[in-house]
Amino acid sequence: MKELDCLGMCCPRPIIALGKEMPRINAGESIRLLSDDPATEIDLRAWARMSGNYIVVTGINEFLVTKSKMD
Amino acid sequence: MSCLLVSGGSLHPVVQITGNFQAETPLSARAREALGDALDQGWSDPSKLSHFSAKARILKESAIAAMAEILELRPDEINILGEPGLGHYYSIMGLLRPGQQFLYSRVDRKEVIAIARSHRHTLELQVAPSGLIDFQALDRYSQGHGVLALQAANGETGVVQDLNTAIARAGNLQIALDFSSAGTRIPLPSKWDCAFFDARAWQGPAGVGILAISESSEWVNPLPHIGKTRTPQSASLPLTIAAAVALEEWKEEERTESMALRQRTQELRSHITSRIDNCEVAGSLENSLPHISSFSFLYVEGEELLRRLELQGFAVDSGSACTAEDLQPSHVLAAMGVLTHGNIRITLHRGVTPAQVRVLAEAIETAVADLRAK
Repeated sequence: MKELDCLGMCCPRPIIALGKEMPRINAGESIRLLSDDPATEIDLRAWARMSGNYIVVTGINEFLVTKSKMD
Repeated sequence: MSCLLVSGGSLHPVVQITGNFQAETPLSARAREALGDALDQGWSDPSKLSHFSAKARILKESAIAAMAEILELRPDEINILGEPGLGHYYSIMGLLRPGQQFLYSRVDRKEVIAIARSHRHTLELQVAPSGLIDFQALDRYSQGHGVLALQAANGETGVVQDLNTAIARAGNLQIALDFSSAGTRIPLPSKWDCAFFDARAWQGPAGVGILAISESSEWVNPLPHIGKTRTPQSASLPLTIAAAVALEEWKEEERTESMALRQRTQELRSHITSRIDNCEVAGSLENSLPHISSFSFLYVEGEELLRRLELQGFAVDSGSACTAEDLQPSHVLAAMGVLTHGNIRITLHRGVTPAQVRVLAEAIETAVADLRAK
């Protein structure tokens, strides 16, 4: 699984980095996102709602992002 | 309008800008003139016995009477605060007793949330994605004693709350209303104990808060005090007079201006949502104040967007974490589950034209496209 280490990055950089990675994976595949910015979880949920993808909080500062469909 | 720079002990207009779409706005010519006159005539302490003080007292009483009439209050219910930031504290803590329940919502102002953090028995009401507060939880507390802090409209999103439904469910709870953003745009409900206004809501000067305390309320001054003083009598009389004049001027034009502003806001929202993808608007215009909009653009940094618009002469606000002193995103957007980054807040002021709104919308469209392409 691909990992995106955004620890230390301020919002919205983790979401921008994620947006750039998503076209590079297939539907059903996931990215492990690491981010400690306080806005990331809020914005990831909004991003998932807007983009139709899925996210799960898997740990402190750790998120599993799954692509729902091809671009 | 112009920006001002202190230079050699005087203020000079130095920078011409295209438009002010921030929450704050300069005083109207009429309010400025009243302020100047009041500085000449209302400098004395109204509580003293001299001729000058008597003049100041008459001016103060006239200003309060004028505001009371427009706000549909009695003059003796009005207390002027020179520090509006303390209005929420006076309002809520004057009603709340130790051991009582304090109920508030996730979209209340930070001052209200700070009060909740200092109180032991609290309940935070949840908020729907629409920005509307869920008042169901009130049913469990309506027979008890406590205080409900109730925001008439949100200053970030403009979302208007259903005050009558909340008050009907609040039962025995005392009601502390926050009208600091709504101003006169929303009528006072039939039942309330305290209501707090900020003169900036009607384009009055900063530094004037109006705390209305209902005659029937059990409010007591929450700060150490001597005598019967309800609030400090230190508010600036000239600013109070300017606030009253601004309110009179505002009220004369409110009906027609509100309709025009709602139309302009509709045009702004339509332009942006139809031409920019991955954009969220917090709250629907049908249920919002007519002049406030909050947009969030995916994959855009709020601070950069703000700076880009500033370079083109547009002053707007933002609720994004990167623009906040504490680097925390707007608690209002977070409570609604709206995207918090790439956020800008736009306030349309009296007299804004369709052409100005279109130029602003096009500038936002270009700036978002440029930033996403970086």
